[in-house]
Amino acid sequence: MMKRHLTIFFLCIAGLTQAQDNYFYFNWDVNVPLVNKTWISSTSTRGAKLGFRKFIGTESKFSAGLDVNWAYYQDYKPTETFQQPGGAITTDYFNDIFQLGIAANGQYYFPVGNREHFFPYAGIGLGAGMNSYTVSYNIYTEEENSWGFLARPEAGILVRIGTRRKLGLMAAAHYDFSTSKSVSYGYDNFMNAGFQVGIMLMQW
Amino acid sequence: MKTYWIKRFWVIGVGLLPFAWSCQPEPDSIKLLDELVVSTTYDNAVDFQTYSTYSIATDTLGFVSNQANDTILIQAKTDYPRPVLQKVIGNLNALGYTKVNKSDNPDMRINVYIVNDFNLFQQVIYPDYYYPSYYGYGYGYGSYYAYPYVNTYATNTGSLVIEILDLKNVTPDNKVKVIWGAYMGDVYSTIDLIKQSEKAIDQAFVQSPYLHK
Repeated sequence: MMKRHLTIFFLCIAGLTQAQDNYFYFNWDVNVPLVNKTWISSTSTRGAKLGFRKFIGTESKFSAGLDVNWAYYQDYKPTETFQQPGGAITTDYFNDIFQLGIAANGQYYFPVGNREHFFPYAGIGLGAGMNSYTVSYNIYTEEENSWGFLARPEAGILVRIGTRRKLGLMAAAHYDFSTSKSVSYGYDNFMNAGFQVGIMLMQW
Repeated sequence: MKTYWIKRFWVIGVGLLPFAWSCQPEPDSIKLLDELVVSTTYDNAVDFQTYSTYSIATDTLGFVSNQANDTILIQAKTDYPRPVLQKVIGNLNALGYTKVNKSDNPDMRINVYIVNDFNLFQQVIYPDYYYPSYYGYGYGYGSYYAYPYVNTYATNTGSLVIEILDLKNVTPDNKVKVIWGAYMGDVYSTIDLIKQSEKAIDQAFVQSPYLHK
Protein backbone atom coordinates (compact mmCIF):
# COMPACT_ATOMS: atom_id res chain seq x y z
CA MET A 1 0.00 0.00 0.00
CA MET A 2 2.78 2.33 1.01
CA LYS A 3 4.73 1.47 -2.12
CA ARG A 4 1.69 2.37 -4.29
CA HIS A 5 1.28 5.71 -2.53
CA LEU A 6 4.93 6.52 -2.99
CA THR A 7 4.75 5.62 -6.66
CA ILE A 8 1.74 7.90 -7.15
CA PHE A 9 3.48 10.67 -5.20
CA PHE A 10 6.64 10.50 -7.31
CA LEU A 11 4.61 10.35 -10.50
CA CYS A 12 2.78 13.51 -9.40
CA ILE A 13 6.07 15.24 -8.59
CA ALA A 14 7.42 14.21 -11.98
CA GLY A 15 4.28 15.51 -13.65
CA LEU A 16 4.49 18.83 -11.83
CA THR A 17 8.13 19.20 -12.70
CA GLN A 18 7.31 18.58 -16.33
CA ALA A 19 4.46 21.04 -16.14
CA GLN A 20 6.87 23.69 -14.88
CA ASP A 21 9.01 23.53 -18.02
CA ASN A 22 9.13 27.05 -19.28
CA TYR A 23 11.39 29.81 -20.52
CA PHE A 24 11.65 33.56 -20.44
CA TYR A 25 13.22 35.34 -23.36
CA PHE A 26 14.39 38.78 -24.29
CA ASN A 27 15.16 39.46 -27.91
CA TRP A 28 16.49 42.25 -30.06
CA ASP A 29 13.99 42.68 -32.87
CA VAL A 30 14.75 44.07 -36.33
CA ASN A 31 11.71 44.94 -38.45
CA VAL A 32 10.91 46.01 -41.98
CA PRO A 33 7.63 47.78 -42.75
CA LEU A 34 5.73 46.20 -45.64
CA VAL A 35 2.95 48.73 -46.29
CA ASN A 36 2.75 52.43 -47.22
CA LYS A 37 6.49 52.68 -47.77
CA THR A 38 6.18 56.24 -49.02
CA TRP A 39 5.49 57.23 -45.42
CA ILE A 40 8.12 55.03 -43.75
CA SER A 41 10.37 52.56 -45.50
CA SER A 42 13.44 52.29 -43.27
CA THR A 43 14.29 49.14 -41.39
CA SER A 44 13.83 49.47 -37.66
CA THR A 45 16.71 48.21 -35.57
CA ARG A 46 15.20 49.68 -32.42
CA GLY A 47 12.89 46.95 -31.31
CA ALA A 48 12.64 44.30 -28.66
CA LYS A 49 10.43 41.49 -27.58
CA LEU A 50 10.13 39.79 -24.24
CA GLY A 51 7.93 36.94 -23.25
CA PHE A 52 7.27 33.84 -21.27
CA ARG A 53 6.33 30.42 -22.63
CA LYS A 54 5.32 27.29 -20.80
CA PHE A 55 5.39 23.79 -22.22
CA ILE A 56 2.18 21.82 -22.33
CA GLY A 57 2.18 18.07 -21.85
CA THR A 58 4.99 15.74 -21.04
CA GLU A 59 6.61 15.55 -24.45
CA SER A 60 7.39 19.28 -24.71
CA LYS A 61 5.94 19.44 -28.21
CA PHE A 62 3.71 22.40 -27.53
CA SER A 63 4.01 25.60 -25.55
CA ALA A 64 1.83 28.59 -24.86
CA GLY A 65 2.71 32.01 -23.55
CA LEU A 66 2.48 35.76 -23.59
CA ASP A 67 4.74 38.34 -25.16
CA VAL A 68 5.20 42.05 -25.47
CA ASN A 69 7.08 43.62 -28.36
CA TRP A 70 7.85 47.12 -29.47
CA ALA A 71 9.64 48.77 -32.37
CA TYR A 72 10.45 52.29 -33.47
CA TYR A 73 10.50 53.23 -37.13
CA GLN A 74 11.80 56.58 -38.29
CA ASP A 75 12.30 58.26 -41.66
CA TYR A 76 13.67 61.72 -42.37
CA LYS A 77 11.99 63.53 -45.24
CA PRO A 78 13.99 66.35 -46.84
CA THR A 79 12.42 69.74 -47.40
CA GLU A 80 9.28 69.53 -49.47
CA THR A 81 6.54 71.97 -50.50
CA PHE A 82 2.94 70.86 -50.12
CA GLN A 83 0.54 72.87 -52.28
CA GLN A 84 -2.96 73.15 -50.86
CA PRO A 85 -6.05 75.05 -51.95
CA GLY A 86 -5.40 78.61 -50.81
CA GLY A 87 -1.74 78.20 -49.91
CA ALA A 88 1.32 76.06 -49.43
CA ILE A 89 3.61 74.80 -46.69
CA THR A 90 7.31 74.02 -46.91
CA THR A 91 9.25 72.04 -44.35
CA ASP A 92 11.46 69.07 -43.75
CA TYR A 93 10.13 66.54 -41.28
CA PHE A 94 10.46 63.21 -39.52
CA ASN A 95 7.88 60.44 -39.74
CA ASP A 96 7.86 58.11 -36.77
CA ILE A 97 5.93 54.99 -35.89
CA PHE A 98 6.01 53.45 -32.47
CA GLN A 99 4.63 49.93 -32.64
CA LEU A 100 3.53 48.02 -29.56
CA GLY A 101 2.13 44.50 -29.52
CA ILE A 102 0.74 42.32 -26.77
CA ALA A 103 -0.04 38.74 -27.80
CA ALA A 104 -0.95 35.34 -26.48
CA ASN A 105 0.87 32.69 -28.46
CA GLY A 106 1.25 28.99 -29.07
CA GLN A 107 4.10 26.96 -30.56
CA TYR A 108 4.75 23.51 -31.94
CA TYR A 109 8.31 22.14 -31.57
CA PHE A 110 9.61 19.94 -34.34
CA PRO A 111 11.26 16.69 -33.24
CA VAL A 112 14.80 17.23 -34.42
CA GLY A 113 17.84 15.24 -33.25
CA ASN A 114 18.11 14.17 -29.63
CA ARG A 115 16.08 17.19 -28.41
CA GLU A 116 18.80 18.32 -26.04
CA HIS A 117 20.27 21.36 -27.73
CA PHE A 118 18.14 22.50 -30.67
CA PHE A 119 14.41 23.14 -30.56
CA PRO A 120 13.04 24.47 -33.84
CA TYR A 121 9.48 25.65 -33.64
CA ALA A 122 6.62 27.32 -35.50
CA GLY A 123 3.82 29.20 -33.86
CA ILE A 124 1.35 32.01 -33.94
CA GLY A 125 0.57 34.94 -31.67
CA LEU A 126 -2.78 36.67 -31.47
CA GLY A 127 -3.47 39.86 -29.57
CA ALA A 128 -3.65 43.62 -29.77
CA GLY A 129 -1.37 46.00 -31.60
CA MET A 130 -1.00 49.75 -31.13
CA ASN A 131 0.65 52.06 -33.61
CA SER A 132 1.50 55.64 -32.80
CA TYR A 133 2.10 57.74 -35.93
CA THR A 134 3.99 61.00 -35.39
CA VAL A 135 5.08 63.75 -37.75
CA SER A 136 7.68 66.17 -36.36
CA TYR A 137 8.60 69.38 -38.15
CA ASN A 138 10.59 72.18 -36.57
CA ILE A 139 9.21 72.38 -33.00
CA TYR A 140 5.79 71.09 -33.97
CA THR A 141 4.39 67.54 -33.80
CA GLU A 142 1.22 65.83 -34.93
CA GLU A 143 0.33 62.43 -33.55
CA GLU A 144 -2.30 59.79 -34.15
CA ASN A 145 -2.68 56.56 -32.17
CA SER A 146 -4.66 53.53 -33.19
CA TRP A 147 -5.24 50.05 -31.81
CA GLY A 148 -6.07 46.94 -33.78
CA PHE A 149 -6.13 43.17 -33.81
CA LEU A 150 -2.68 41.62 -34.15
CA ALA A 151 -1.79 38.28 -35.77
CA ARG A 152 1.81 37.12 -35.83
CA PRO A 153 3.00 33.83 -37.34
CA GLU A 154 6.53 33.03 -36.24
CA ALA A 155 9.19 30.39 -36.83
CA GLY A 156 12.34 30.10 -34.79
CA ILE A 157 14.80 28.00 -32.90
CA LEU A 158 15.85 27.67 -29.28
CA VAL A 159 19.44 26.73 -28.67
CA ARG A 160 20.37 25.27 -25.35
CA ILE A 161 24.04 26.03 -24.77
CA GLY A 162 24.57 23.11 -22.36
CA THR A 163 22.26 20.60 -20.78
CA ARG A 164 23.19 21.83 -17.30
CA ARG A 165 22.92 25.53 -18.11
CA LYS A 166 19.80 27.61 -17.81
CA LEU A 167 20.89 30.12 -20.36
CA GLY A 168 20.11 29.63 -24.01
CA LEU A 169 19.90 31.50 -27.27
CA MET A 170 16.88 32.15 -29.38
CA ALA A 171 16.32 33.33 -32.94
CA ALA A 172 13.07 33.75 -34.84
CA ALA A 173 11.56 35.27 -37.94
CA HIS A 174 8.05 36.69 -37.81
CA TYR A 175 5.43 38.42 -39.87
CA ASP A 176 3.06 40.84 -38.15
CA PHE A 177 -0.34 41.90 -39.39
CA SER A 178 -2.29 44.49 -37.44
CA THR A 179 -5.63 46.09 -38.27
CA SER A 180 -4.36 49.31 -36.68
CA LYS A 181 -5.16 52.00 -39.24
CA SER A 182 -4.48 55.68 -39.76
CA VAL A 183 -6.63 57.58 -42.20
CA SER A 184 -4.49 60.72 -41.87
CA TYR A 185 -1.27 58.97 -42.85
CA GLY A 186 -2.65 56.43 -45.33
CA TYR A 187 -2.58 53.16 -43.42
CA ASP A 188 -5.49 50.74 -43.84
CA ASN A 189 -3.55 48.27 -41.70
CA PHE A 190 0.05 47.70 -40.69
CA MET A 191 2.27 44.84 -41.77
CA ASN A 192 5.89 44.17 -41.05
CA ALA A 193 8.38 41.34 -41.20
CA GLY A 194 11.01 40.91 -38.54
CA PHE A 195 13.94 38.92 -37.30
CA GLN A 196 14.81 38.61 -33.66
CA VAL A 197 17.69 37.19 -31.73
CA GLY A 198 18.31 37.10 -28.02
CA ILE A 199 18.68 35.16 -24.87
CA MET A 200 16.38 32.88 -22.94
CA LEU A 201 16.36 31.59 -19.42
CA MET A 202 15.13 28.03 -19.32
CA GLN A 203 13.47 26.16 -16.55
CA TRP A 204 13.63 22.58 -17.65
CA MET B 1 33.16 33.30 -6.48
CA LYS B 2 34.69 36.09 -8.57
CA THR B 3 34.16 34.09 -11.77
CA TYR B 4 30.53 33.52 -10.78
CA TRP B 5 29.83 37.26 -10.54
CA ILE B 6 31.76 38.07 -13.71
CA LYS B 7 29.55 35.56 -15.55
CA ARG B 8 26.40 37.01 -14.04
CA PHE B 9 27.38 40.58 -14.96
CA TRP B 10 28.22 39.47 -18.47
CA VAL B 11 24.83 37.82 -18.87
CA ILE B 12 22.96 40.82 -17.43
CA GLY B 13 25.01 43.23 -19.54
CA VAL B 14 24.37 41.36 -22.76
CA GLY B 15 20.71 41.03 -21.83
CA LEU B 16 20.32 44.75 -21.26
CA LEU B 17 22.03 45.81 -24.48
CA PRO B 18 18.98 45.26 -26.70
CA PHE B 19 16.82 46.90 -24.05
CA ALA B 20 18.94 50.06 -24.10
CA TRP B 21 19.17 50.10 -27.87
CA SER B 22 15.44 49.62 -28.32
CA CYS B 23 14.58 52.93 -26.64
CA GLN B 24 12.80 55.60 -28.66
CA PRO B 25 15.05 57.56 -31.04
CA GLU B 26 14.34 61.28 -30.88
CA PRO B 27 14.25 63.12 -34.21
CA ASP B 28 17.52 64.92 -34.92
CA SER B 29 16.91 68.42 -33.53
CA ILE B 30 19.66 69.95 -35.68
CA LYS B 31 17.82 68.81 -38.80
CA LEU B 32 14.48 69.94 -37.42
CA LEU B 33 15.60 73.39 -36.38
CA ASP B 34 17.91 74.41 -39.20
CA GLU B 35 14.98 75.57 -41.36
CA LEU B 36 11.84 77.46 -40.49
CA VAL B 37 8.50 76.00 -41.47
CA VAL B 38 7.09 78.27 -44.19
CA SER B 39 3.33 78.44 -44.60
CA THR B 40 1.58 80.78 -47.03
CA THR B 41 -2.06 81.57 -47.66
CA TYR B 42 -3.70 83.81 -50.24
CA ASP B 43 -7.05 85.05 -51.44
CA ASN B 44 -7.53 83.16 -54.71
CA ALA B 45 -10.15 85.67 -55.85
CA VAL B 46 -7.45 88.32 -56.09
CA ASP B 47 -5.50 89.02 -59.27
CA PHE B 48 -2.12 90.15 -57.97
CA GLN B 49 -1.13 91.46 -61.39
CA THR B 50 -3.53 94.38 -60.96
CA TYR B 51 -1.45 95.74 -58.07
CA SER B 52 1.60 97.88 -58.68
CA THR B 53 2.84 99.73 -55.63
CA TYR B 54 3.39 98.97 -51.96
CA SER B 55 4.56 100.62 -48.80
CA ILE B 56 6.53 99.03 -45.97
CA ALA B 57 8.42 100.08 -42.85
CA THR B 58 12.17 100.06 -43.26
CA ASP B 59 13.55 99.61 -39.75
CA THR B 60 10.67 98.45 -37.61
CA LEU B 61 8.95 95.10 -37.09
CA GLY B 62 5.70 94.69 -35.26
CA PHE B 63 5.77 92.57 -32.11
CA VAL B 64 2.61 90.90 -30.87
CA SER B 65 2.88 89.07 -27.58
CA ASN B 66 0.58 87.81 -24.91
CA GLN B 67 3.21 88.62 -22.34
CA ALA B 68 5.45 91.58 -23.14
CA ASN B 69 4.37 95.20 -23.39
CA ASP B 70 6.57 95.91 -26.41
CA THR B 71 4.69 96.28 -29.67
CA ILE B 72 7.59 96.93 -32.01
CA LEU B 73 11.14 95.74 -32.63
CA ILE B 74 13.39 98.51 -33.89
CA GLN B 75 16.75 98.29 -35.60
CA ALA B 76 18.37 100.48 -32.97
CA LYS B 77 17.79 97.78 -30.36
CA THR B 78 18.20 94.60 -32.38
CA ASP B 79 19.84 93.81 -35.69
CA TYR B 80 16.93 91.62 -36.78
CA PRO B 81 14.43 94.07 -38.44
CA ARG B 82 16.58 95.52 -41.23
CA PRO B 83 17.77 92.30 -42.95
CA VAL B 84 14.26 90.86 -42.71
CA LEU B 85 12.62 93.93 -44.22
CA GLN B 86 15.30 94.25 -46.88
CA LYS B 87 14.65 90.65 -47.89
CA VAL B 88 10.92 91.29 -48.21
CA ILE B 89 11.51 94.47 -50.22
CA GLY B 90 14.02 92.68 -52.47
CA ASN B 91 11.55 89.92 -53.26
CA LEU B 92 8.65 92.28 -53.96
CA ASN B 93 10.81 94.43 -56.21
CA ALA B 94 12.00 91.34 -58.07
CA LEU B 95 8.36 90.43 -58.71
CA GLY B 96 7.78 93.78 -60.37
CA TYR B 97 6.15 95.76 -57.59
CA THR B 98 7.29 99.27 -56.76
CA LYS B 99 7.98 100.55 -53.26
CA VAL B 100 6.50 103.96 -52.55
CA ASN B 101 5.92 106.11 -49.51
CA LYS B 102 2.84 105.64 -47.41
CA SER B 103 1.67 109.10 -48.50
CA ASP B 104 1.81 108.11 -52.19
CA ASN B 105 -1.41 106.09 -52.02
CA PRO B 106 0.08 102.58 -52.51
CA ASP B 107 -1.98 99.62 -53.73
CA MET B 108 -0.69 97.35 -50.97
CA ARG B 109 0.57 97.72 -47.44
CA ILE B 110 3.14 95.17 -46.26
CA ASN B 111 3.02 94.32 -42.57
CA VAL B 112 5.88 92.38 -41.07
CA TYR B 113 5.73 91.33 -37.43
CA ILE B 114 6.62 88.70 -34.88
CA VAL B 115 3.93 86.85 -32.98
CA ASN B 116 5.20 85.64 -29.65
CA ASP B 117 3.10 83.00 -27.96
CA PHE B 118 4.18 82.51 -24.37
CA ASN B 119 2.36 79.75 -22.56
CA LEU B 120 2.63 78.85 -18.96
CA PHE B 121 1.31 75.52 -17.77
CA GLN B 122 0.84 74.62 -14.18
CA GLN B 123 0.08 71.19 -12.90
CA VAL B 124 -0.85 70.38 -9.35
CA ILE B 125 0.74 67.14 -8.14
CA TYR B 126 -0.96 65.29 -5.34
CA PRO B 127 1.47 62.78 -3.86
CA ASP B 128 0.07 59.53 -2.53
CA TYR B 129 -1.87 60.21 0.60
CA TYR B 130 -0.48 57.14 2.29
CA TYR B 131 3.10 56.16 2.70
CA PRO B 132 4.99 54.38 5.48
CA SER B 133 5.28 56.35 8.64
CA TYR B 134 8.73 57.41 9.76
CA TYR B 135 7.85 56.25 13.22
CA GLY B 136 6.39 52.90 12.34
CA TYR B 137 2.96 51.65 13.11
CA GLY B 138 3.82 51.13 16.74
CA TYR B 139 3.96 54.90 17.28
CA GLY B 140 0.33 55.25 16.43
CA TYR B 141 0.58 56.77 12.95
CA GLY B 142 -0.03 54.55 9.95
CA SER B 143 0.06 57.31 7.36
CA TYR B 144 0.58 60.99 6.61
CA TYR B 145 -1.04 63.48 4.33
CA ALA B 146 1.46 64.89 1.89
CA TYR B 147 1.10 68.46 0.70
CA PRO B 148 0.36 68.91 -3.01
CA TYR B 149 2.91 70.86 -4.99
CA VAL B 150 2.84 72.71 -8.30
CA ASN B 151 4.94 71.89 -11.34
CA THR B 152 5.39 74.77 -13.77
CA TYR B 153 6.21 74.42 -17.45
CA ALA B 154 6.70 77.22 -19.94
CA THR B 155 6.79 77.23 -23.72
CA ASN B 156 7.83 80.18 -25.80
CA THR B 157 7.17 80.03 -29.50
CA GLY B 158 7.25 82.67 -32.16
CA SER B 159 6.38 83.17 -35.80
CA LEU B 160 7.57 85.72 -38.30
CA VAL B 161 4.53 86.97 -40.21
CA ILE B 162 4.34 88.89 -43.47
CA GLU B 163 0.98 90.18 -44.65
CA ILE B 164 -0.09 92.00 -47.78
CA LEU B 165 -3.05 94.29 -47.16
CA ASP B 166 -5.30 95.36 -50.01
CA LEU B 167 -5.37 99.17 -49.98
CA LYS B 168 -7.09 99.35 -53.34
CA ASN B 169 -10.30 98.00 -51.87
CA VAL B 170 -10.67 99.65 -48.50
CA THR B 171 -14.22 99.22 -47.25
CA PRO B 172 -16.35 102.29 -46.52
CA ASP B 173 -15.82 101.72 -42.79
CA ASN B 174 -12.04 101.79 -43.37
CA LYS B 175 -11.35 98.06 -43.13
CA VAL B 176 -8.67 96.39 -45.23
CA LYS B 177 -8.38 92.79 -46.28
CA VAL B 178 -5.33 90.54 -45.96
CA ILE B 179 -4.82 89.08 -49.44
CA TRP B 180 -1.56 87.20 -48.79
CA GLY B 181 0.12 85.94 -45.65
CA ALA B 182 3.33 84.11 -44.85
CA TYR B 183 3.93 82.49 -41.47
CA MET B 184 7.39 81.27 -40.59
CA GLY B 185 8.37 79.53 -37.36
CA ASP B 186 9.68 78.84 -34.93
CA VAL B 187 11.88 81.93 -34.60
CA TYR B 188 12.84 81.19 -31.00
CA SER B 189 14.40 77.80 -31.73
CA THR B 190 16.63 78.65 -34.65
CA ILE B 191 20.28 77.86 -35.13
CA ASP B 192 20.94 81.09 -37.08
CA LEU B 193 17.93 83.39 -36.80
CA ILE B 194 18.72 86.00 -39.44
CA LYS B 195 20.00 83.59 -42.06
CA GLN B 196 17.09 81.18 -41.58
CA SER B 197 14.58 84.04 -41.63
CA GLU B 198 16.00 85.35 -44.90
CA LYS B 199 15.88 81.90 -46.44
CA ALA B 200 12.30 81.42 -45.24
CA ILE B 201 11.22 84.75 -46.73
CA ASP B 202 12.67 83.73 -50.11
CA GLN B 203 10.81 80.42 -49.86
CA ALA B 204 7.53 82.18 -49.04
CA PHE B 205 7.70 84.03 -52.34
CA VAL B 206 8.94 80.99 -54.28
CA GLN B 207 5.93 78.93 -53.19
CA SER B 208 3.55 81.75 -54.21
CA PRO B 209 3.90 81.76 -58.01
CA TYR B 210 0.67 83.76 -58.46
CA LEU B 211 2.32 86.70 -56.71
CA HIS B 212 3.78 88.93 -59.44
CA LYS B 213 3.10 92.06 -61.38
